[in-house]
Amino acid sequence: MALHVSVGQYYSADSPIHRLDPRVKLAAALVYMVSCFFVSNPAMLALAGAAAFALMGLSHVPARLMLRSVKPIMFFLVFTSLFNLLFVQTGAVLVRLGPVAVTDAGVWAAALYTLRFLFLLLVGALVMCTTTPIALTDAAESLMKPLARLGAPVHDVALVMSIALRFVPTLAREAENIVAAQTARGADLENKGALAYARACVPLVVPLFASALRHADNLGRAMDARCYTDGAHRTRYHVMRFSPRRDGAAVAATALYLFALAAMALAF
Amino acid sequence: MPRKQPSAHASRDIQGEKNAATGAARSTDRSGARASEQAAAPRGRSAAVSLDDVHVAYPNGTEALRGVSVRIDPGSYTCVIGGNGSGKSTFAQVLNALIAPTQGSVRVFGMDTADPAQQLKIRSRAAMVFQHPEDQMVTSVVADDVAFGPENLALPQPQIAARVDEALAAVALADLAQADPADLSGGQKQRVAIAGAFAMHPDLLILDEPAAMLDVRGRRGIRRVCRELNERGITIVHVTHFMDDVLDADRVLVLDGGLLVLDGTPEQVFSHEQAIRTLNLDLPASLSLAEKLDARGLPVPHLPHEDDLARAVAQVAADRAKNTRAQPGQPSAVSAGTAAASTAPCAEQDEKNPATGAAAASVPYGTGASAPSAAPSRTADGDAPAALSFSHVSFSYAAPKPERRKRRLFARKHGNGALPADAPWALEDVSLTVDPGSLTALIGHTGAGKSTVIELACALKQPTAGQVRVAGIDVADAGRRRELRRAVGYVSQLPERQLFAETVYDDIAFGPRNLGLAEDEVRAGVSRACELVGLDLDALGGRSPFALSGGQQRCVALAGVLALGPRILVLDEPMAGLDPAGRARTLKLLRALNAQGTAMLVVTHSMDDVAAIADQVVVMDHGRVALSGTPAEVFAREEDLHRIGLGTPSAQRLARKIQAAGLDLPEKRPLTLDALADEVLAAASPERPGQGGAEDGASC
Repeated sequence: MALHVSVGQYYSADSPIHRLDPRVKLAAALVYMVSCFFVSNPAMLALAGAAAFALMGLSHVPARLMLRSVKPIMFFLVFTSLFNLLFVQTGAVLVRLGPVAVTDAGVWAAALYTLRFLFLLLVGALVMCTTTPIALTDAAESLMKPLARLGAPVHDVALVMSIALRFVPTLAREAENIVAAQTARGADLENKGALAYARACVPLVVPLFASALRHADNLGRAMDARCYTDGAHRTRYHVMRFSPRRDGAAVAATALYLFALAAMALAF
Repeated sequence: MPRKQPSAHASRDIQGEKNAATGAARSTDRSGARASEQAAAPRGRSAAVSLDDVHVAYPNGTEALRGVSVRIDPGSYTCVIGGNGSGKSTFAQVLNALIAPTQGSVRVFGMDTADPAQQLKIRSRAAMVFQHPEDQMVTSVVADDVAFGPENLALPQPQIAARVDEALAAVALADLAQADPADLSGGQKQRVAIAGAFAMHPDLLILDEPAAMLDVRGRRGIRRVCRELNERGITIVHVTHFMDDVLDADRVLVLDGGLLVLDGTPEQVFSHEQAIRTLNLDLPASLSLAEKLDARGLPVPHLPHEDDLARAVAQVAADRAKNTRAQPGQPSAVSAGTAAASTAPCAEQDEKNPATGAAAASVPYGTGASAPSAAPSRTADGDAPAALSFSHVSFSYAAPKPERRKRRLFARKHGNGALPADAPWALEDVSLTVDPGSLTALIGHTGAGKSTVIELACALKQPTAGQVRVAGIDVADAGRRRELRRAVGYVSQLPERQLFAETVYDDIAFGPRNLGLAEDEVRAGVSRACELVGLDLDALGGRSPFALSGGQQRCVALAGVLALGPRILVLDEPMAGLDPAGRARTLKLLRALNAQGTAMLVVTHSMDDVAAIADQVVVMDHGRVALSGTPAEVFAREEDLHRIGLGTPSAQRLARKIQAAGLDLPEKRPLTLDALADEVLAAASPERPGQGGAEDGASC
């Protein structure tokens, strides 16, 4: 039971993408990701793909690392593309295998749905790889500031997110240790029915839960000792600065991309 | 009862301003020049901390502090020691206003901790570092975590950045500013925590057992950082289990049962040797040696600092040798007495330490330090199978995990695992053998591969290449897994964290029941295990393990492993986080189990423990066996150990210092303090080789 966590896999490098104001980066990425759902013809697909790969090239993040973070969802992508390939029956028939016909519309649908989702995922992963979890939560907090005026606990939520990310590896390692210890005491987690499996999990879940509570207790005390009260009276180590040149260019590029995409949607 | 007196003295001490004079008087008799300087400094006038008859009672009725009065001077370095349950952790938290006294008052820089309006102010001036580094990190970037405190103080950004850089430089972690704390070693994480506290520019730094979970190198780093911060003028209050930490302090407070029982300089406190022992505390190695020399009729001044003691010992021994040689006609009564006195401890040492004594005789580790790979072949054609044998084992976490189903299909293919050429090896060509009934210590740094060896030895992982046999069973043989589980017991690090059952009995019975034993067999196993660890099953069997004290929980967890009646026991740092009494108890248990014929593989950080109990030592470094052999063989390779970054037993360290001070010892590297004391005595006696003395009692 190895827990491999690909969330928040920050890749440290110095690239134009890394240096972007995290608010701009996050907002632009969200715009791009939403725009992917409107991609509907080959020209738009090519543009979206070109944009995604250009960003990856700019980011200095190794393609291997990017692909690894997309890997868990690959199965889903392959499945949807096969589904489209086999079940879209409109258009000209290309190949016929018994009762199943592969049509040109099926191939197009398979390519479109798979690729635009892949581009969306890659850009999402790119944000995770080029932004520290802290910067990301700071940016999210900053972008959601209007909600804070309405009384939403935006800062607390951001801090909870940051702490949760911080404790994922810790708890994963502890879970592994507990599994090891109980396995050595003869606990068998394999070849069991659902009920037996649930019962076999008790020796794992109880210590893990106790451990999480202990961490929470200790962390709370440590935060108290470090003068944490609430978000209202804090300053920030990382001040997010909107650089007119770099971030302005990013905003302009995003606007240009949207404009081009819209033009293609209308033209074809 | 001598140990009560200093406490009464201390409580009277704090009243009124006149104590400035008392404080000065106390500091002048301190050995350090720095301390007396501070007494003269103007800031010595008001106390950094003053406690007046402080009681702390927890809601469940236990009283953690029962009337503690003490005053701590600004700029001082105070160590707080005491066994588990002595109240020292509560003491630390009281200073940070994390716990309010139920009675009495605590003032930190003149502010009352009971006043909610002052609490933030107090915490900003009195920073705190806790025992578990993991639980103090709020973010996943080192620099950002250090910034957390200054951010909370609402400092302007440029100042925060300056403080983060300064704090990381102060703990020598500037180059890891952008690292993820999860990737750091325990010692580095704890230094990050100290940097986080220091970045708040506190006047007082409180450390609550910061090194309890660290290895020797980590602990050394923490000690150095504490000293440096103290030199910058920060008052340090350091709660610790380790007696050598105490020697850095200019004042030591000893707590017992919520009371302050001893208070003074390290020299003063450790002069109450009897009291220290009854409090279940240790003496530093230097003073233990002095005590042993006293017992052997060679009284030396009791100096806690090792260099001072080494010089004194060399001097006393040289004088003794000169004096007795000056009157060759009459063999002096003193040296005859010495010889008589020394034979007894010698015998006692052999008894106490059957391991090192018997190892050479019973276990033919002729293979020596340089050729560990020859060991398994020897046992392969021997009569009894080795308890544990690794034969050219390599392991990589990057390799595809051999699933159970796959393993059955491709059982023959096992061991030829093809790996990508750049795959990182956690273990590379490791061969080692643990003979039945012997005790092997596994030492090395975090990341050296010790944990991987343990996982393989307990069949929790399969080797990527090579073969691991446990009690003759190949760990790759899934069909004999149950048999294997019964043969080998695994005590993980902090084993009390795996407790889960509703009652102590059920938790201990978990293992035997998993193996499908009949209930009466289970009962027998449980009661035998409880007997071994000294747990009262009738009184505690029906209680929840979570309601027990930390020490009892550790016993329950140990019993849970021993209930399987394993012939082989694998222990991962069984001493981590224990106080001296707990460490002594665990050592005793290991010896008892070993005497009953249980073979053991023990991971430990303590070279003294290795010297005391191990038959064989395996030193891991970068996934390979760097050295192996008997403790004497391995510790003889001092330079190699230092290169790897490991220490030597304190007896050996002291021996080197004594020799550097001019006394020639017959045996250069004694493993235990008893052996060292005998060496010193032999050097001090006139009957050196060639001089032909009548008495040779010292050379046993």
